[in-house]
Amino acid sequence: MTFRKPLIECRDLTFRYPGEEHFILKDLTCTIDEGEFLAIIGGNGSGKSTLCKAFNGLIPHFYVGDYMGQVKLDGVCTATTDVATLSQSIGYVYQDFQNQLLRPTAIEDACFMPLNYGLDDYKERGLWALEVTGLLDVQDEFIWRLSGGQQHLLALASAIAMRPKLLVIDEPIAQLDPHHAEQIYEVLKKLHTDYGITIIVIEHHTDFIANYCSHVMLLDEGKVLWKKETVGALNCVEDLLARNIFPPQVTQIAHSLQLAQPYPVTLQQAIQTFKTSPWKQQPTVHHLPTQSTPMVQLNNIELVYNQRQANNKLVLQNISLKLCQHEHIALVGNNGAGKSTLLKVIAGIVRPTSGQMYIREQLITKAAPEKLAQDVGFIFQNPEEMFIEDSVRKEISFYLKSRKVDNYEIHVDELLKTFELVDIQDQDARLLSGGQQRRVSLAIGAAMRPKILLLDEPTANLDIATKQHVLTLLKELKKYVQTIVIATHDMELVAEWSSRVVVLSNGRILADDTSERIFQNHSIMAAGHISAPQIVQLTTALEVPYCASVSLFIAGYLQQSERGVHVGMG
Amino acid sequence: MEWVKKLENKLSLEYIKQELLRTAFSTEKSFFTQLDPRILLAWYSYFAIVPWFIYEHVTLVGYLLFMILLTIIARVSPLILTVLSIGLAGEILLLGFIALFFGGDLSIVAPMFWLSIKLAVISLASVTVFSSINPEKFSDALLRFGVPAQFSFSVAYAYRILPTLLEEFQQIILSYRLRGLAPSKNGVLYFRKIYYYIMILIKSFYPLILNSAKRSRTTVEALEIKGFSYAAKDKRVLKMKTSYLQTSQMDWLFLLLTVCYVVIVHGLQLIF
Repeated sequence: MTFRKPLIECRDLTFRYPGEEHFILKDLTCTIDEGEFLAIIGGNGSGKSTLCKAFNGLIPHFYVGDYMGQVKLDGVCTATTDVATLSQSIGYVYQDFQNQLLRPTAIEDACFMPLNYGLDDYKERGLWALEVTGLLDVQDEFIWRLSGGQQHLLALASAIAMRPKLLVIDEPIAQLDPHHAEQIYEVLKKLHTDYGITIIVIEHHTDFIANYCSHVMLLDEGKVLWKKETVGALNCVEDLLARNIFPPQVTQIAHSLQLAQPYPVTLQQAIQTFKTSPWKQQPTVHHLPTQSTPMVQLNNIELVYNQRQANNKLVLQNISLKLCQHEHIALVGNNGAGKSTLLKVIAGIVRPTSGQMYIREQLITKAAPEKLAQDVGFIFQNPEEMFIEDSVRKEISFYLKSRKVDNYEIHVDELLKTFELVDIQDQDARLLSGGQQRRVSLAIGAAMRPKILLLDEPTANLDIATKQHVLTLLKELKKYVQTIVIATHDMELVAEWSSRVVVLSNGRILADDTSERIFQNHSIMAAGHISAPQIVQLTTALEVPYCASVSLFIAGYLQQSERGVHVGMG
Repeated sequence: MEWVKKLENKLSLEYIKQELLRTAFSTEKSFFTQLDPRILLAWYSYFAIVPWFIYEHVTLVGYLLFMILLTIIARVSPLILTVLSIGLAGEILLLGFIALFFGGDLSIVAPMFWLSIKLAVISLASVTVFSSINPEKFSDALLRFGVPAQFSFSVAYAYRILPTLLEEFQQIILSYRLRGLAPSKNGVLYFRKIYYYIMILIKSFYPLILNSAKRSRTTVEALEIKGFSYAAKDKRVLKMKTSYLQTSQMDWLFLLLTVCYVVIVHGLQLIF
C-alpha cells in the first residue's frame, strides 16, 4: 500500500451562518487524500456546499459566521491565509457556473487566473485548459454565444488553468443532457488519471458516482456519517434512502429483492447478477395508440435565426407534428437540438419563418403571445425568470387577476394546497429553495388553466427526492390540463411519465414513438444523443419485458419467479 | 396603419438586443477597431470638449462633416443613429416650445440650430469611438492611463454582464406578456398599446434588479478565487496584461490627418 498525503484535513469544524439558529456544520472531522475522486453526498441542508467553501477559505473569509475548528489545505491553515493565495492550489466550479465566467471570450476567461497570478506562460496554460476540456474550436467565441454545456466546460477550464492540486465541482451535471454529462465526467476522469488532480464532486446522480468516483462521503446534519470506497458506500442502501438519496436503479432492485451483498452498482455488474435469474419472458412491444382530436397541429414549420446576418442558422426545419388530447409528450434530444425553440414556437413567443400552426383547428401563426396564453401555458426552465411579483400568492393570482376571473381567490387557495405552498404563500419566490421555486412555477402554469401546457426542463437542477415530488405533481397537473409537452434531458422522467416521445436532432424530428420503442432503437438514441435509463438498459440486456421504473421491474420479476417456482413444483 | 405593423415586425426586442451587443462589443472590423484605444481616447477627449467652446459657424459645419464621414467609416448601427436623431430633434422641439411658451419669438431658431449642430458633433464623436473600442481594450487603456484596477475592471465587467442582463430582461418581459392581458383595442394613435408596453417595461426593472443582485454573490466570490485582488496589487501583472497595446504608424497617421483637417477648418473660418 502506498502512503498517501492528505490534501484536506478538517478537525472539529463547526460553522453557523450569520443570523441562523442552527449550526450547518457540527464538529466535522474528515481527511481527503491526494489522488482521490471523491463524491460528497447528503440530503438538502446537510452542509455539502458549505463544507466545500470551507476548503478554499471562502468560509471564514467571505462568510463571517461562528467558526470553530481547523481546516488545512495541503498543510496550510485556511483561516490564517487569504483566499487568493489558497486558490492557487484549489479550483472551484460553482453550481451557478454562468456567474463565474468573468471575461467576454473563452480564451480570455481561461487565461484570467494565471494572468492574475502573474505567470508568464498564462497563454499556454489557458490554451492547455481549453484543449483538455475540448473547447479549442471556440476559443475566440463570446461566452454568451456558447451553449450551456460549453459554458460549464469553460468554467471548468478556467478553474484548472492554474493546474491546481484539488478541484471542487458543485453539481457538475445538473443541467446537462446525458451525452454532455458523460462528456464532463470523461474530462474529470482525464484530469484525475492523466494529470493527477484530486477531484471532489457534490453529486446526487449515483449512477455517475458508481462509474467514476473512487470514494463517497455521506454528510448528515453537518457531520460526516461515513466515508467509504464507492461500491461499499452505494451498498449502504438504507443509509442513503433515509436521506432521500437514491442509489443506482440496479442497486435499488437488488436491495428490494434482498439479493446477496454486495449489490451490483453498475449496469455491467447488474447484467452479470441477473443473467441467471428465473425471469424468462418474451418482451411484447407496445405501439402508439391511435390519435384523438389534435389540439395543436404544426405544418412544415421552419425557423431561421439571424436572418439579417450572413451566419444565419436553420434552427427548426420541416417540423410537422400533431399533438392530441390526453397525450403526455416528452421532447428529447441533445442540448441545442431545438427543443426549447420548438416549445417557444408553439407558445407564440418565437414566430416561425415559414409554415402554419393550428390550435384547435384555428390558424394562429401570427397571434400575439397574450392571446395564445389563453390556450397555451409555458413554464420556463429557470423559475426565477417567471417571478414578477413579490409573493408566491401574488405570482399565482397574477394571470387570473389580470383577466378578472370571478372568485379567483378560491382557485388560488386550492392551487396553493395542491402544490404545498400554503405555508410559504407570503414569501418572495426568489428566496425559496430550488424545489420550492419549481413548485411555484408549476402552480403558476396550472393557474393559467391552459388547454396545452409546455414545460422546459421541469426537473433540471433538482435533487432526486425533489424530482420524485415534481413527478407526482406533474401527474397532478393532468387534472387541469389536456395536453402536456415537456422538453427534458431526464430519461427517467421520460420513461415513467410520457405517453409519447418526440426526438429532435439538429432542428429536425428524428423519431416519434412510445418511449419503449425509442429506447430500444440504438441508431435513434445514438443520433439523438440520448441514452435509456439504467432500468431500461437492464431489461433490454436481459431480454425481458420493458419496465419503465424500478417498481415495475420488481413487480414483474417477483410475479415471474413465483410462477417459475410453481411450474418447477408441478 | 400598415407601416406600424411593419415597424413592429422589424423592431423586435431581439433586434434591439443584437444591435446593442454589436455596438458594445465592436464585433465587426472597421478602420477604427484597428487603432490603439489610447489614441482613440485621446482623440475623443478633444472632440468631446472643444466643440462646446466653438461658436464660428464654418468651423462647426466643418467638424460636423468630418464626424459624418467618420460615422460612415465606423459603420455605426442604424438603431443607434435613429435613437440619436430622435433625441436631437426632440431636444430642439422641446427647447423651442419652452421658448415660445415664455414669450419668445422665431428669432430663437438660429441659435437653437447651431446648438444642435454642436451636440451632433459631440454625439457622433462619442458613438464612433465607443462603437469601435471593444470593452477589453477600453478597460486596458484606462489601466495604462493609471486608473485603479477596480475601476477599469468594473467597466469591463459592466460590458460583460450586459448581454446577460438583456437576456434576463427579455425573459421577464415575456413573463408579463404571457400572463398579462394586452388591451384588446389599440386606442387612439396606438395609445393604449403603447401605454401597456411602457408599463411592462417599467415593471420589469424590479424583478431584473433583484435577480441580478442574487447573481452578483457568486461573481464577487469568483473574482476572489480567481486571484483578481492578487493582481490588482501587482504592477508587473498590469504590464503583462496590457503589453499588447502598441501604437502603429496608422495611429499616428490618423492623428496627423485629424490635426491637418482641424487646422484647415479653422483656417477657412479666418478667410470667410
